[in-house]
Amino acid sequence: MAIFQTGLPASATLSLQQCSECGQVNYPARELCGNCLADTLQWRPVKNTGTVQSITELQYSLEQTYTAHLPWSIASIQLDCGPVVLAHLVPGIAIDSPVMLKVIQDEQGNRMLLALGSDDAARHSADSWLAEVQFREIST
Amino acid sequence: MTRPASYQGIALVCPVTLGYSKTSEHSASWFIGSVLRELIAGAGITKEDVDGLAVSSFSLAPDSVSFLTQHYNMTLRWLEQLPFGGASGILAMRRAARAVQSGDADIVACIGGDTAVKDSFRDLVSDFSSFSNSASYPYGSAGPNAAFALITRRYMEQYGATREDFGRLAVSQRYNARHFDGSLLGDKALTMEDYLAARSICSPLHLYDCVMPCAGGEGFLLMSIERAESLDLPYATILAADERHNAFPEDAMQLRGGWPLFCQHLYDSAGIAPQDIDLLQTYDDYPVISMLQMEGLGFCEMGAAPSFLREKTLTFDGGGLPHNTSGGQLSNGQAGAAAGYLGLVESIRQLTGTAIANQVPNAQHAMVSGYGMINYDRGLCSAAAILRGGKC
Repeated sequence: MAIFQTGLPASATLSLQQCSECGQVNYPARELCGNCLADTLQWRPVKNTGTVQSITELQYSLEQTYTAHLPWSIASIQLDCGPVVLAHLVPGIAIDSPVMLKVIQDEQGNRMLLALGSDDAARHSADSWLAEVQFREIST
Repeated sequence: MTRPASYQGIALVCPVTLGYSKTSEHSASWFIGSVLRELIAGAGITKEDVDGLAVSSFSLAPDSVSFLTQHYNMTLRWLEQLPFGGASGILAMRRAARAVQSGDADIVACIGGDTAVKDSFRDLVSDFSSFSNSASYPYGSAGPNAAFALITRRYMEQYGATREDFGRLAVSQRYNARHFDGSLLGDKALTMEDYLAARSICSPLHLYDCVMPCAGGEGFLLMSIERAESLDLPYATILAADERHNAFPEDAMQLRGGWPLFCQHLYDSAGIAPQDIDLLQTYDDYPVISMLQMEGLGFCEMGAAPSFLREKTLTFDGGGLPHNTSGGQLSNGQAGAAAGYLGLVESIRQLTGTAIANQVPNAQHAMVSGYGMINYDRGLCSAAAILRGGKC
């Protein structure tokens, strides 16, 4: 089974690397701030909302984790705190929709981002989706 | 900003395309060395005459270009390895041209070559870069198809492009490939109906939007015009060339590459306009990227490629804008880093009148473009050059 080193901390709330010098939120994970190159990045809780830029429904995958659950939706999301992230997407969400991001893990404990709608109905569909693909929320 | 100095005095000769196959038992050094052998034979020179080598390959590890000098038993005074994927050919050409202009080398062989074995594509994309490993590959593990599906979908949403618009590129390129010997997929015709009926890979990408990973080699020699003429070799010259890396990082989705940042300068340096271009070679790892190059290189406005393509004939013999005249990667396969040389090598063939069944009539000016290195969500390298056929 695949091991993905996403670098995301084991917390259900979204934390990303923020620079203590210039305040820039960095993603993907790195060692130096992409804006000012300072060696002062810290994982900090950030605003977890954003807008869907694009969506694809994958009909194939190179990893077994996903081949068992095809088709699989992922999205590109512009976060309100700055970076663009790729995330798993709860099916049924359209381009340009507002979403919230949460950290989830798969059966191997790989921590990844999930984009879901922000109302109660959306949370319910996120829960059923997580159960169906056997991913789970992080309990901390 | 200073602008690149002239490339005057430089000749591009001996285009070689070699060994395309779905998989191969040979190593990358076999493909690179075989191209080198053909370049030397084609130019009528000896191996000792080649004193510079520029190489691009994804599958050369654990070797590097330094080790190749011992493989091929060559003593060189200029050596370069260019890990720029689809922009590698133009970048190799630019650097080699400066080496020859400044006397650091007399004859440089520029070669892209890669092998392909079962699972080599998976091995490449599952460990491509640290950003890709941590932030892209974990999300569905579909490799570059996923990143380009996202770009394609956004482009369709924003500009109203349809699948037929992308299909025009795939279908016209297949027509061109059917007139090019050695094309991996050129023996199979492709109609718009076939294109539209293909299975979905990553929506909105379907089978004929995706390039087939394969093995193969591409290369050319770069030397002074005097040398090319003394060897009686037909040649092409470089009127203008430029490159950008990580252009427009603020764009949430990559709907433009770096080309608009130097497009006008290319035409100004060349003293021509887009309508003077007789053939265009874009880096077609997915049709949408070819559209971004057409827009970024001044053939149409940003977002206008779909309507531009509805008006233009793209086949080599259609009298419109001949595009990817040997079939591009969509019909030849993507031979790793050799794909970054494919359009340049084909341009040299066309401008020297050495293309055979797919020769564009009266081809004088070519625009060739490169795009490479999908680190996370977008291709980081953009390059382009305007070439002209020489005398001889």
